[in-house]
Amino acid sequence: MESGAAMRTTQITYDDGITRQFLWATTLWGLVALLLGVVVATQLSFWQANFGTSWLSFGRLRPLHTNAAIFAFVGNMMFAGIYYSTQRLLKARMASDILSRINFWGWQLIIVSAALTLPMGYTQGKEYAELIWPIDIAIAVVWVVFAINFFWTIAKRNEPKLYVAIWFYIATIITIAVLHIVNSLVIPTSPVHSYSLYAGVQDALVQWWYGHNAVGFFLTTPILGIMYYFLPKAAERPVYSYRLSIVHFWALIFIYIWAGPHHLLNTALPAWTQSLGMVFSLMLWAPSWGGMLNGLLTLRGAWDKLRTEPVIKFYVVAITFYGMSTFEGPLLSIKAVNSLAHYTDWIIAHVHAGALGWNGFMAAGMIYWLVPRLYGTNLWSKRLADAHFWIGTFGLLLYVVAMWTSGINQGLFWQALDADGFLKYPDFVEGLVSARFLYHMRLIGGTLYLLGYILLIVNVVRTVASGKAVNVTVDVAVPEKEHGPGFRKLVLARPIVFTLMFTGLGVIFFYGGLIAAILALGGMLILATATYLLTGDSWGQGYHRALEGNSTAFTVLVLVAILAGGIAELIPSMIIRNEVPAISSTGELMTQKPYSPLELAGRDVYIAEGCYNCHSQMIRPLRHETLRYGEYSRLDEFIYDHPFQFGSKRTGPDLHRVGGKYPDLWHYTHMMDPRSTSPGSNMPSYAWLKDSKVSGPKLQRKLEVMRLLGVPYSDDDIASAEATMLSQGKLISDALAETGIELEPDSQMAAIIAYLQRMGRGPRPTGPEEPVAEGGLE
Amino acid sequence: MSKPEENKVDQVFEHDFDGIQEFDNRLPNWWLYTLYGAVIFGVLYWMYFHTTAVGPLPEERYEMTVIQHNEEQLARMGDQELTDETLMMMAAVPARVAEGKALFQQFCTVCHLEQGQGSVGPNLTDKYWIHGPEPLTIHGTVMNGVPEKGMAAWGGQLGPKRVNDVVAFVLTLKGTEVAGKDPEGELYETEGP
Repeated sequence: MESGAAMRTTQITYDDGITRQFLWATTLWGLVALLLGVVVATQLSFWQANFGTSWLSFGRLRPLHTNAAIFAFVGNMMFAGIYYSTQRLLKARMASDILSRINFWGWQLIIVSAALTLPMGYTQGKEYAELIWPIDIAIAVVWVVFAINFFWTIAKRNEPKLYVAIWFYIATIITIAVLHIVNSLVIPTSPVHSYSLYAGVQDALVQWWYGHNAVGFFLTTPILGIMYYFLPKAAERPVYSYRLSIVHFWALIFIYIWAGPHHLLNTALPAWTQSLGMVFSLMLWAPSWGGMLNGLLTLRGAWDKLRTEPVIKFYVVAITFYGMSTFEGPLLSIKAVNSLAHYTDWIIAHVHAGALGWNGFMAAGMIYWLVPRLYGTNLWSKRLADAHFWIGTFGLLLYVVAMWTSGINQGLFWQALDADGFLKYPDFVEGLVSARFLYHMRLIGGTLYLLGYILLIVNVVRTVASGKAVNVTVDVAVPEKEHGPGFRKLVLARPIVFTLMFTGLGVIFFYGGLIAAILALGGMLILATATYLLTGDSWGQGYHRALEGNSTAFTVLVLVAILAGGIAELIPSMIIRNEVPAISSTGELMTQKPYSPLELAGRDVYIAEGCYNCHSQMIRPLRHETLRYGEYSRLDEFIYDHPFQFGSKRTGPDLHRVGGKYPDLWHYTHMMDPRSTSPGSNMPSYAWLKDSKVSGPKLQRKLEVMRLLGVPYSDDDIASAEATMLSQGKLISDALAETGIELEPDSQMAAIIAYLQRMGRGPRPTGPEEPVAEGGLE
Repeated sequence: MSKPEENKVDQVFEHDFDGIQEFDNRLPNWWLYTLYGAVIFGVLYWMYFHTTAVGPLPEERYEMTVIQHNEEQLARMGDQELTDETLMMMAAVPARVAEGKALFQQFCTVCHLEQGQGSVGPNLTDKYWIHGPEPLTIHGTVMNGVPEKGMAAWGGQLGPKRVNDVVAFVLTLKGTEVAGKDPEGELYETEGP
């Protein structure tokens, strides 16, 4: 290449063993994740598949399915791809074999502990962040080990510049660390239980800032990095556009962070946060498509390979699904569309188009490309890979189309009004029953996808059997020390100063009044025009090359870019806490009273059983919702909800105002056999709650932790927690005894009935002497 | 590392990363317009709904829908007033009773059972009434519920037309004396008006 005469070379043997380990783990956990998916889909079609056992019930298995798909399957795939490509792109062996192994075994241990704890009902009750606090700490530790190893390798690199794949890996490592730590802040009540530091709407905002960006920075950015390495390799074509890489990388990581609130549109979240989430989601469309374009257009001149190379087939469909999902995402983020689609199966279609289409097929393409190379042989059967491709694609389409149809059907069903302006379909279960056929279609689609994946496993096993593990050794040139601009110069360079000024004006535009907004807008226009005139079309490109030579400056700028949105949205929402009104908009006395000990225990049962997987607790200000469920939910109603339980899906109806809607007996009967009260329901029976007990001493500790979090329990409340729990439980068991039903006052069943009856209204009587009890729960 | 001339199509950088080379093609215009369009939309959206607060936010929009509905509903009702008599008249129209029966079986049998003999909820076929036997009282019970007794308010979910039909059907149950839950409330020997 262009270096001078005295070029020093060194021999490097890549650590391909670690890639093989992660690849095997990917293959195995992929099977587990898909199998679990088929199991939970079966349960939604046939409630009998819950088998009446707690640890096999949908509410506990669905989080296991999502965690397995995200963290076990895609997680290991991501590590495999990163470990393989990073070493080659940096021309250096991973800095520490020991750290690589700690990363590998630590990650597997985390997955196994997740697989053990989730079915046991140990959960934090926040989607994709269910794992209990000791596992959360383990994740943070392993992630830091990975980061140290990665950045240490960057420091030892023999390649002066960082390739675009490395940029995406850096963004992944930094952002996931920030998201995971902030969202996992809890106070433990026991080694397996804790309460979120945040409550209600704030907790929801932090959770969906995390949840949305887990998609962005765990399922998207690392996989884009992997695409930028493996796609040009497989196609043997240059990447379409370097400048597109720059623009879409920075735009993507900067904008992604702001879009989280689109998971909470039309809820009790303050309106300004919702609107920010919506407009940034729309702005995210183009940056996402930048990645798709750079992928698909790289294939120009290599389209003939589509016929012969299974790897290219998988990549093309994966990238197409990426493009489809990242168009659908902004579409779903429009408030009007969201009012139809939220809580429905449309969202299930959306995430599976991403997970099965983009992630699953990127993984398959990468595996088919890597395995022969890691074992010095050829792929055992291209025809089998082709079969996988077609079966998988067909299954995927069947799945997605079924859920689209079902989702739109649900949305229209729920909001349909008759000529008089009242609910056309008042019976919720009727909608569920009408979707049953589509649920079966989904099950078939998912099963086909799993079958295709099993073909991959066969192919991998046979390929490996025909070869022998090889570790690649190469001679690389040791580059001369480059004397590029230093850290300060890079961080304070003109493009950065311009961007910071622009962002500053943007913040003034969003948060300022009318005059400030107009001035800020004018300032932004002037700034943009001036910069364009000063530097022309190619501004910043020379600068970016220099930046690629300084990993510290690059990483710091990534951190600034991803923190901007989080700070701008989270901090103002945290301050709002003190302004939360204690009296409702309707003027009635709605001063929030903490949950009684029994209700709190019931809430923990609700969380442990994963009720939030099918039930929401958030009535939106839409007339069809207030007709069906009652007054819409307000943010002041959730101030003691650590964690929040808004839910994101309504397989069953909303529960926020279910308190007092039915008698205790109804709830008891419904929990024992949901179909006795709601014919056609697919809810599992929760009969075991009758025989499980609430622990009094643990309850006391829970109240103490809640007080620490700001819930006003008195010393007396805490000291008498167990007695109060029993006396309230007795009210319920006495009432049930009149109808001949025996229920222990301290059973989990009594607790969840107490919680459900409390939902959406004020305190309930906790003992017989209370004067309010008259005519109450008789 | 050579820098390609501006706007040249498919000019490749000499430098490669593990054999991967890069072109430096221009960003497609339609892609740029998508980006600019989204940003401009975002600015206008924000100004319409927040900076100037002209556009109605979700809660305001909700209040508007409710008011609009109420006006329409009142217009439809005209000066017709619901009385014990009109409800009894409905109970005498077979089609409406059949409608009410279907609704009753869908929503009410969970607590009152198939023939209204009661289980969780009281027996509707005897002469004992907790809140009184008058059609309007029954109508009020169905419409607004009796939360402390566990009777749900059905007005929102079913709407006034269906509530009237259910009441019409319940009125036909009165005095059918199906063996079921023990009597509750007070004895009313004579039937309502």
